[in-house]
Amino acid sequence: MPNKTFPLSLILFLISLTTYAQQKYTLSGVISEASSNEKLIGVTVAVPELRTGTTTNEYGFYSITLPEGDYEILVSYLGFSDITQQIELNTNRKINFNMVEQAEELDEVIVSEDAERTNIRQPQMSVNTIAVQTIKQIPVVLGEADVIKSLILLPGVTNAGEASSGFNVRGGAADQNLILLDEAIIFNSSHLFGFFSVFNPDAIKDVKLFKGGIPSRYGGRVSSVLEIFQKEGNSKELKVNGGIGAVASRLLVEGPIIKDRTAFLAGGRASYAHLFLPLFDIDNRAYFYDLNTKINHRINERNSIYLSGYFGRDLFSINDNFVNIYGNAVGNFRWNHLFSDKLFSNLSLIYSDYFYGLELDFVGFEWDSGIQNFNVKYDLKHYVNDKFQINYGLNNIYYVFNPGKIKPNSPDSGIVEEQLTKKYANENAIYIDVEQDVTDKLSINYGIRASQFNRLGQDEFFVYQNDNPVIFDPFTLTYQEATPIDTINPGRSGTLEKYFNIEPRLSASYTFNENTSVKASVTRLAQYLHLLSNTSSPTPLDVWTPSGPYVEPQLLNQYAVGFFKNLRQGEFSLELESFYKDIENRIDYIDGANLIANNAIEQVILNGEARAYGLELLLRKNEGQLTGWLAYTLSRSEQRTPGRTPTFDNGRSNLETGINFGEWYSTPFDKTHDIALYGNYELNEKWSFNTNFIYQTGQPTNFPVGQFEFQELVVPFFGLRNQQRLPDYHRLDISAKLVPKKNRNRKLQSEWVFSIYNVYNRMNAASINFRQNQDTGRNEAIRTSIFGIVPAITYNFKF
Amino acid sequence: MRRSLLFFGIISLIWSCEDVIDVETQPEAPRLVVDAVIRVDTTQQFIEARVTVTESSDFFSENQPTQLDENATIFFGEPDPNSLVVEPLGCASLAETAPGTGIYEIDPDVFPCGRLPMELARPGMVFRLLMRHKGRTYYAITPYVSTVPIDDLQLGDQTLFDEDETEVQVTFTDVENQEDFYVFDFGFGEFLAVEDQFFDGQQFEFSYFYDQTFESGQELEISILGADQPFFNYMDLLVEQTLDDGGVFETPVATVRGNVFDITGLDNVDIFDNVERPNDFALGYFAVVQEYKETIVIE
Repeated sequence: MPNKTFPLSLILFLISLTTYAQQKYTLSGVISEASSNEKLIGVTVAVPELRTGTTTNEYGFYSITLPEGDYEILVSYLGFSDITQQIELNTNRKINFNMVEQAEELDEVIVSEDAERTNIRQPQMSVNTIAVQTIKQIPVVLGEADVIKSLILLPGVTNAGEASSGFNVRGGAADQNLILLDEAIIFNSSHLFGFFSVFNPDAIKDVKLFKGGIPSRYGGRVSSVLEIFQKEGNSKELKVNGGIGAVASRLLVEGPIIKDRTAFLAGGRASYAHLFLPLFDIDNRAYFYDLNTKINHRINERNSIYLSGYFGRDLFSINDNFVNIYGNAVGNFRWNHLFSDKLFSNLSLIYSDYFYGLELDFVGFEWDSGIQNFNVKYDLKHYVNDKFQINYGLNNIYYVFNPGKIKPNSPDSGIVEEQLTKKYANENAIYIDVEQDVTDKLSINYGIRASQFNRLGQDEFFVYQNDNPVIFDPFTLTYQEATPIDTINPGRSGTLEKYFNIEPRLSASYTFNENTSVKASVTRLAQYLHLLSNTSSPTPLDVWTPSGPYVEPQLLNQYAVGFFKNLRQGEFSLELESFYKDIENRIDYIDGANLIANNAIEQVILNGEARAYGLELLLRKNEGQLTGWLAYTLSRSEQRTPGRTPTFDNGRSNLETGINFGEWYSTPFDKTHDIALYGNYELNEKWSFNTNFIYQTGQPTNFPVGQFEFQELVVPFFGLRNQQRLPDYHRLDISAKLVPKKNRNRKLQSEWVFSIYNVYNRMNAASINFRQNQDTGRNEAIRTSIFGIVPAITYNFKF
Repeated sequence: MRRSLLFFGIISLIWSCEDVIDVETQPEAPRLVVDAVIRVDTTQQFIEARVTVTESSDFFSENQPTQLDENATIFFGEPDPNSLVVEPLGCASLAETAPGTGIYEIDPDVFPCGRLPMELARPGMVFRLLMRHKGRTYYAITPYVSTVPIDDLQLGDQTLFDEDETEVQVTFTDVENQEDFYVFDFGFGEFLAVEDQFFDGQQFEFSYFYDQTFESGQELEISILGADQPFFNYMDLLVEQTLDDGGVFETPVATVRGNVFDITGLDNVDIFDNVERPNDFALGYFAVVQEYKETIVIE
């Protein structure tokens, strides 16, 4: 629970810092959308006379402290009409603004200069925001608007192609992304092997991706933070919107329970069962659904509470012989409390549960695994003055990992029921983060996060000779699983291993003029959880394991520099960034490692290291009938696992070769060139057009260096890892949106979206496999591609 | 040690589309391939040993038989747990059956070796294979591993993914309270490596699906082979490597290293350390394992 003395002592400290200043007053309030009371995130509140300003936080709150005086306040937000208001600041004032969405008339779509200027000034770098409106416009396969697929169009973000879930940021793995939905951690962001993502775009308000310079309030994943906030619900009137698409339909209802005070939101999305049935003739099912719910209640000016929930499931089965079910469930209670007009706090209590199950009828085998966590977060934002903001808080997460329960699926199955040993851990952190304008030109953001990971005891724990669960055979040059010499029972109350890390963060921006700045950042991050996945893409096998005695936490250092410029009064903007990062203790798997239902995962894991570096360019056109961007990334991502330090035992040297003979090799997400082009053209009130083009260097893979025959098996064999690449990936998508004229004078608003995915029918290789043709007996290379050209129509409505 | 059931490699992305394409591979120089799985039928008087040697090729060509510089030799003995050195009790010499075939079988008349009597098929017995090829010396060591018989074979009528499949239900009884590994040979170059982690001591039935249909009256021969963990790992990896799934459980490919090594000029033969020359090795495996065979006739 919050400890009031902690913020108070800080306030005293900060007051002492600021007493020399002249008489100051605070302007604060909440900024919402006028028609729904939906709070707006990232709205700029500017004071042009003082060349200063602030932005609203995740809960729509702003606070700015200025010297006494009369000011013109300019409130601006992309897609909304600016508000200008004269205020007389001779006392602390509370002003809530309601912003009105700009009419869809073209001439009025003008991005405020000031909104862009903050972008130039803020030390925060390596962050991308995509408007939900843009996400809905980007053409995607089968017409289903998708958050993750939209992120791929940003510089530094890639994925492994159509049928791969997750995304890779700056050469990092998919499990290194912290994905937060209303502050709750989401462990798997994909539906149906990555064809779709779990976020229903209708229920989402704000999407923000931090690729570097990650503020110290975030921790636990080393690559990126994807922060998504759901809408709160319309507290003015009942609204319904939905859509009927080629694969799924969705419906979202929101409205007031108590007008202007309490609102609810409930959204559902479901794909049609037998989704892929038309494509082949066997009995199978594949579908997903998800539900988003939220209630918010404004108790008074100082207190608001939110209750939100997410539930999603995927089911995939073939002939009932193979059944795979997985999904997230998240429940979340938040309490916003204003201690003063300068001190904002949010308390979150979050429960999240990730389930992954497999049933294999032909061996009578059922396996259920999962991860549960209980997360308490308390975050405070202290708006000391217009030049100084301080954020601090604490966080505690308790995890229960269930590596799997194996069950017979019928009475006549020979499988013996077994619960693989559950693992427990507790992760806690405190942080403090300061945003400071040192001079008119120099702003810095510095903070520190102290995190501790406590791997708690468990019922059974294997002990190995010399504490070494993986042994190296110096003759076959392979790593083998060691046999435990003992099994101990440490009990749940004890601690198996404790890790403590100090994670400093620093970023700075230097503004040359209103339109030009340079920024730099240094980030250190620790990650205590690891996704076990030896496939090249993360689904559907999704088992997480905590750090512990044999698996060390991943530790990242990232350095980034950037150059930011607005051109032609903000019509264009240019972002150029370069990064370097290294990660200690990236886990790697020994050859032939089996991760499913493995009770001793430490026997197949070695700690290696990873590094990535690159250059990113983003050129945006922000105004006019044609808007969009060009993103280009040149980068490299590698990892290696050298042999461990030799030990001497009986006079024998235990030299090791390491995995891949200890040499650096490309990670599966190493894409040398990554180009994305996105354009939106508003022709007239009726028609608008969107297009995107993606080009990525082919994914690293292995081709056989030879083949041999053994016991009638024809076996391709391979050299060092990831020496070759799949053919380059590229495709072009287009879509057209039709808003019928008859919308004007009626409540029901509808639109049609016609899209064509992969226009020129490029057969991009998802993989290349080498096998013997059963009929001819000849060896062949087989390219697997997922989607050729796919047209789709979606109908959206709201009333 | 504890590996899990491996039935997972077979799921493929079935809604995808597949094409045969031309790919340029970068083949390495041919390597010696030693196929020396000695299947022991304990009802016989002697252990029949046959070793086939070939040279590996690039992926799109065929392997060619090759010849050893001289007869291959199998030594046998029971290691003294207190010593690293195994004193051989005896040996068998293997000669090429017909010139050019690359197939070597026991020649009982080569002094001082002889045949391999069946009493060698017992726990604790260790076999070593020594051969010379193109001036290099190769060596492998393996223990004898017994197994359990197949209790029952039944034809099933289920299919896993498509119509053109044949289901065979295999039943066998695992030995209780010990960790066992099995390799099933279904013929047609189809193998399955199984461990008993989840059915220790149980009578266990599982289904195997041939990716083809057979004509009525055709006889299928199915074998169960004993395996120690390294042989299980090896076969498991081979099977995984040959599956053409491209599927969602696909694991990264690897050089499948067996237990036949190049020991030419190695001055540390006692500890078998060749960390300094990781590229000198032969492909293939040497195993001496018990086999039970059953047949089933397609109706």
